[in-house]
Amino acid sequence: MTGPSTEGLEVIERTDPPPSQINDSIVALTAVGAAISGIVFAVTLLLGGPVLLYGSAMAAALLLLAVAVRRYFTAKYPDITAVEPRVPPAAGAGEEPITDVESVNPRRSFLGWLLAGAAGVLGLSLAAPVASLGPSPGDTLRRTRWAPGTRLVTGDGTPVRPSDVAAGGIATIWPEGDIGHERSSVVLIRLNVEPQTPTNQAWVVDDVVAYSKVCTHAGCPVALYRERDNALFCPCHQSTFDPSRGSVPTFGPAARGLPQLPMGTDDDGYLVALGDFEAHVGPALPRGM
Amino acid sequence: MTPLFAWLFDTLDERLGLRAPGRKVANKVFPHNWSFLLGEIALFSFVVLVLTGVFLTMFYRPSIEPVTYNGSFELYAGTTQPAAFESILRLSHDIPGGLLFRRIHRLAAHLFMAATVLHMVRIVLTGAFRRPREINYLLGIGLVTIGFAAGFTGYSLPYDSLAGTGIRIAYSELLSFPVVGDALAFWVFGGDFPTGDVIPRFFVFHVMVLPAMLIGAITVHLLLVARQRHTQFPARGIDGHRFVLGKPLWPAQFAESATLLLWIGGLLAAASVLIPWSDISLIGPYVPGEVGNNAQPDWYMFWVEGALRVFPALEFSVFGIMTISGPFVAGILIPGLVFTALAAYPFVERRVYGLRGDWHVLTNPLEIPLRAAFAVGTFGFVLIISAAATNDILSRMTGIPIEVFIWVFRIATVVLPPIGALLIYRYSTRRLERSGRTVAATEDEAMKPYLFPGPPTAESMARSGSQPED
Repeated sequence: MTGPSTEGLEVIERTDPPPSQINDSIVALTAVGAAISGIVFAVTLLLGGPVLLYGSAMAAALLLLAVAVRRYFTAKYPDITAVEPRVPPAAGAGEEPITDVESVNPRRSFLGWLLAGAAGVLGLSLAAPVASLGPSPGDTLRRTRWAPGTRLVTGDGTPVRPSDVAAGGIATIWPEGDIGHERSSVVLIRLNVEPQTPTNQAWVVDDVVAYSKVCTHAGCPVALYRERDNALFCPCHQSTFDPSRGSVPTFGPAARGLPQLPMGTDDDGYLVALGDFEAHVGPALPRGM
Repeated sequence: MTPLFAWLFDTLDERLGLRAPGRKVANKVFPHNWSFLLGEIALFSFVVLVLTGVFLTMFYRPSIEPVTYNGSFELYAGTTQPAAFESILRLSHDIPGGLLFRRIHRLAAHLFMAATVLHMVRIVLTGAFRRPREINYLLGIGLVTIGFAAGFTGYSLPYDSLAGTGIRIAYSELLSFPVVGDALAFWVFGGDFPTGDVIPRFFVFHVMVLPAMLIGAITVHLLLVARQRHTQFPARGIDGHRFVLGKPLWPAQFAESATLLLWIGGLLAAASVLIPWSDISLIGPYVPGEVGNNAQPDWYMFWVEGALRVFPALEFSVFGIMTISGPFVAGILIPGLVFTALAAYPFVERRVYGLRGDWHVLTNPLEIPLRAAFAVGTFGFVLIISAAATNDILSRMTGIPIEVFIWVFRIATVVLPPIGALLIYRYSTRRLERSGRTVAATEDEAMKPYLFPGPPTAESMARSGSQPED
C-alpha cells in the first residue's frame, strides 16, 4: 500500500460488517417502536392525556429511533478509518487584484480614508436613537416616596399604630399611596433591647423603629429577622444588620447601614414619616456616597 | 441510495452541480474522541432550544401588567398576576404539551450551558486554542458569554419570585459601575427598578437579539472548524501536523451525529417527564419587597453569586467623583478578569514558551506546566467560588452558622487556587525533567515521539503498539 496522496482521503483501515439477522431485527423493531411511540405521543397529547404519558412516549420514540439509526448504519456501511492531508491555508496566494482595473489616481489613499471616516461618523450618528432607551437618572435614586406626613401602611393599605407591632415582630411597610414602590419599602421592628447609637432616638416611637428594607449591598429586600441575635438578614448575600444600633452592618458584604426612616405619629396616633431618608437607600451610587 | 433519494439528488445535481463539492464534504475526516462530542452536544441542545422556544414564544406575554388567571390550575384560579407569570401558568396548565416543552426548554438550556462550558474547558486543557485557531477560540469565549446572557434573560422572563430577585441584582450590578452606573441601569431597564420595560426588553433580547447572535457566531464557529480542520489527539505513527486521522462524514460521523441528536432529544424528554424542572407555580410571582430563602440563580451563575456573597464589605469614594463598591468588584471585575484571562491565555502561552508555527495535535496539559497551572488556578477558583453560592443551604443542612461558611469560602477562594496551581506546576515541571524533556517549540518537534519515517500507512498503524524510533 502506498502512502496517502496529498490530494485527498486515503482509507487505511476498513472493516465490513457481517450480515446479521439479529441486527436487521433490532432495526425493524426499534423503528416500528419509534413510529408507534410517536403516534401514542400525538394521540395522547391531542386527547388531553397526562404529561407523564405523552412525555414518556416522546422520549421513547426519540430513543428508539436513535437505536434504529445507529444499528442501521453500522450494519449497512463499512467502518472506515482514513487519513486526509491538512491543506495549509494558502496565505499570500492570489496576490493579483480581484479585477484588472488598477487605480490611476495618486490621491486615492487620502480620499479613501476620508470616505471611510465619513462613513464611520455617519454610522455613529445613526446610533443616536439608542440614547432614547433610558431616561436621565437625575437625582431619582437619591429620593424615595416618603415625605413629611406620609403615613406608614401595610401591603393592603392599612395605616399602622405603634401598638400594632408585636414584640419582636417585623412588618413590611409602604408609603401611603405608593404600595409596591420597592425602593421606598421599610421594615418596622419593635426592638426588645434598648436602642443605641447611631440609632436616632427621636425617630423611635414606643420602641418601634423603621429602616429601609432595601439592602445597601445589591438591593435585595432585607426580608428576614433572625431572633437568636436580633439581626436583620438579607437572604440574597447574607448581609446582616443590627437594628438596635441604627442597623449598622455586622456581617457580610454590605458596607453601609440601612437608613433609618424619620418617623413620628400623627394626630390620630398613626405612624407617619417626618420626611425622606437622610441618606440614600439601596446600593452604592456611582458618583460619591 | 434508494432510487427516490438518487432521483432527488440527481435533479438537484443537474441544476446546482452538487456532486463534486458533495463528495468533498462527505469525505471530510472527523477525528474521534468522546470529548469532541461536547461541542456537538451544545449545538444539538441549541437546536432543541430553538424548536421548543418557538413554541413557547407563541404563548408567552412579555408584560408585567396585572391580569386575572382564569385557567384550570386551582392554586391561582381567579387571582391577579403579572401577565408574564400568568401566561406561563396558562402555558403550563392549560395548553397541551406546554409544560413538557417548557421543561425541555429549560433543561436544554442547562445542557447547552454545561456542554458549552465543558467544551471550553476541553479546548483550554488540550491546547486546541493554539495558532491557527486563536480566532475561533476567541469566538468560542464570546459564545460562552452570549450563552450566559441568553440563559439569564430566559431565567428572568417568567417573572417569578426568583426571576425578580435575579433582575434586582442585575440592576444593582449595572448601578455599581463607577461614574456611569445609574445612567447605565436606567438605559438598560428604561428607568428606576422595577420598571414595566424590563420584561419586554429582556424578551426582545432572549428571543431575537441573543439567538441571532448565537446562530451567527455558531455558524462562523463551525465554518472555521471546517476550514481549518479538526485538531486531534496524538496517535503513534500518524504525523498529525500534516494529516487528519478519523472517520469520514458519510456515513460514520453522520450516523453518530444523528444518533446523538436523537439521544439528546430523548433524554431531555425523559428527564422532563421525571423531574419537575422550573415549575414556577410553586415559587410564586415576583412581589415587590419580598424575597424567599434559597434565592439561588441557575448553576452557571453560581460563580458570580458566590463572589457577591463572599467578597467582603467594600465601598469607597475616589475623590468624590466615583464609587467603587463590593458588587462592582465581585460581580463585574472578577468575572471580567476571568474572561480576560481565558481570552489572553493562548497568547501568553505562545510567548512564554516561544512557540512557533501552527499546531494541530492536542497535548496533555501536564506537558505544558504553565497551562496545567492556569487551568487548575482558573477553573479551581470558579468552582470554589461557585460552591460559595450554596453557603445558606450548607448552613441549614449542617446547623453550622453561616458566618463560618462565609469565612471558610473567603479563605478557600483566595488560598486554594494558587496552591493548586503551584503544586500542579511543580509536578508537571518535574515530570518533564524526569524524562529529560522540555516544552517543544514547534509541532514537528512535539510530534517526534509519535512518528515513524514516511507517511502513515496501514503498516505503521499496526506497529502503533511498538516503541517510537526516536
